[in-house]
Amino acid sequence: MTTPFLHINGIRKTFGDVVATDHVELKIAEGEFMTFLGPSGSGKSTTLYILAGFQEPTAGDILLRGKTLLKTPSHKRNIGMVFQRYTLFPHLSVGENVAFPLRVRRTPADEVQRRVKRALELARLQGFEDRMPANMSGGQQQRVALARALVYDPPVLLMDEPLSALDKKLREEIQHEIRRIHQETGVTILYVTHDQEEALRLSDRIAVFNKGRIEQVGTGPQLYNSPASHFVADFVGDSAFLTAEFTRASGGTADLRFADGTEVRGVPLHGADPKGRAELMLRPERIRLVPQPGAGPSLPVTIADITFLGNVTSILARTSWGEEVGIRLPFGHPMASGLAPGAQTQIEWDAASAHAFAARAH
Amino acid sequence: MAAIAARRGFGFALPALALLVAFFVMPVMWLLLRSVTEPGLGFQNYATLFGTATYAKVFLNTFMVAGIVTVITLLLAFPVAWALVILPPRWSMVLFAIVILSMWTNLLARTYAWMVLLQRTGLVNQILMGLGITDAPLELVNNLIGVTIGMVYIMLPFMILPIYGVIRQIDASVLQAASLCGATRWQALWRVLLPLCVPGIASGVLMVFVMALGYYVTPSLLGGTSHMMLAELIAQLVQSLVNWGLGGAAAFVLLVATLALYALQIRLVGLPKGAQ
Repeated sequence: MTTPFLHINGIRKTFGDVVATDHVELKIAEGEFMTFLGPSGSGKSTTLYILAGFQEPTAGDILLRGKTLLKTPSHKRNIGMVFQRYTLFPHLSVGENVAFPLRVRRTPADEVQRRVKRALELARLQGFEDRMPANMSGGQQQRVALARALVYDPPVLLMDEPLSALDKKLREEIQHEIRRIHQETGVTILYVTHDQEEALRLSDRIAVFNKGRIEQVGTGPQLYNSPASHFVADFVGDSAFLTAEFTRASGGTADLRFADGTEVRGVPLHGADPKGRAELMLRPERIRLVPQPGAGPSLPVTIADITFLGNVTSILARTSWGEEVGIRLPFGHPMASGLAPGAQTQIEWDAASAHAFAARAH
Repeated sequence: MAAIAARRGFGFALPALALLVAFFVMPVMWLLLRSVTEPGLGFQNYATLFGTATYAKVFLNTFMVAGIVTVITLLLAFPVAWALVILPPRWSMVLFAIVILSMWTNLLARTYAWMVLLQRTGLVNQILMGLGITDAPLELVNNLIGVTIGMVYIMLPFMILPIYGVIRQIDASVLQAASLCGATRWQALWRVLLPLCVPGIASGVLMVFVMALGYYVTPSLLGGTSHMMLAELIAQLVQSLVNWGLGGAAAFVLLVATLALYALQIRLVGLPKGAQ
């Protein structure tokens, strides 16, 4: 196999007794947009900081085009980074902020001017050269930070939750800009976020972090359609988990029995040790409401609540043993008509759209 | 609203203002008055002060000593302020205690302590000779060296604290960003850290320089006759020569120089924090 562009090779980082990351292993292709997705404290930022050179791993290596980065101090790594907080130099104008990486590299003046102009154009900041950072909005400041991180053509751009301080509307606008800049420059981006929607919108591939380890790496649709673990299923997209028992498990599928005796067959199975207690995962938009059991797997439920959310209607159904399942239907869908809380009905789904996991120890 | 509230709160400042007027503004005015009325009406005291070589030398010397003390204090204070910010909390507390305690110790006691340490047979000379750095004891007191050492020591906290204040407000990720942008430690210091510290450095420098201009105890105890400072001259004029007119003129010149420096600072870096 050819040498990967960027290879995060078995990174482990401990702070005293606390393990921040463990066996983080990832190969990233040149030009790829890779997102580290996970809750806070899952090790995604630590991994990024090790790449930036702000922290040293306890074990493992980082290889860029086959050469280790760990022996290079951060100011010589030639890596770009946009931080969570605003890190523009407050005493320098926008133009000088963007010129800073070139000035410390002693780039000739005419080239500085040319490159700063190009970087500001890329970030759509023409005409802002003389503004001071304090007189700019958070979104504009992060654009300047982006221009500053790209002005020296780094092979890798790190982004550590760069949009977390912005409001939702602005966030979506800048996500769009980041996507455009990625396409225009072809720079390899490693992006850290805890926002699954952001990860799905931006990334080529997503690495889902949990408790210092990568649970699964894949494209957004891969993670959504075949999550490798309960954690990934829960973190990426909405889902309901119903408790059941394995009655059979082999060849990647399982049969389950619910507490009310209902049985379902041929559910895609993930993870090891499919014995005893099981969990059945259902995505809310893959569930149908039917008056009578049909051909597919189904389960009798009682409607608990109906909420109108604009373009969708969210329905909460309760199983006979008290677990809740969310169902999402397009507004005005015939299946929702005539339903009221308290109504007895059936939920039905395609066997292949559900997933079975071994129940986690609680 | 804020302006009205501020005006209402003004009443609470009256006792302090009355005290300042009675014991500071009035005596200063009185001194100013005597400087233009004694021995006769006119500006002859000021003419004497600026026209006499000896007095001119005292002025020059005062500004020189204040300048030297300010520069050395700044060079020593910056690393201490930096250490206070980056040390683990426990160690920074210890360092803080040392800085603050030295401010709380009696000024005379500290100055006499330096006299003992710096004299010909003092600890400093003994150590220098014991290590073989010098053969004969160095003259460390009753000259410029003694004054500089003593005053730098006393001024250090007044420089450390304002610089500490600005460094503490700098987000560490700004320096991380500088590093990833390719700046060496040295470039990050000169191009990012120091410019961001300018307000703190400016207020520390002004405070120390102004205090040093009017300093009396340390120069008179650790200094020699060849490097007389303005405060010593004023004391001598008033106490020994009972020349209130000339003494008042010298004091007024010092006051004007101080106010001019303060005005300059406001012009360059704005009012100190909290005075806005």
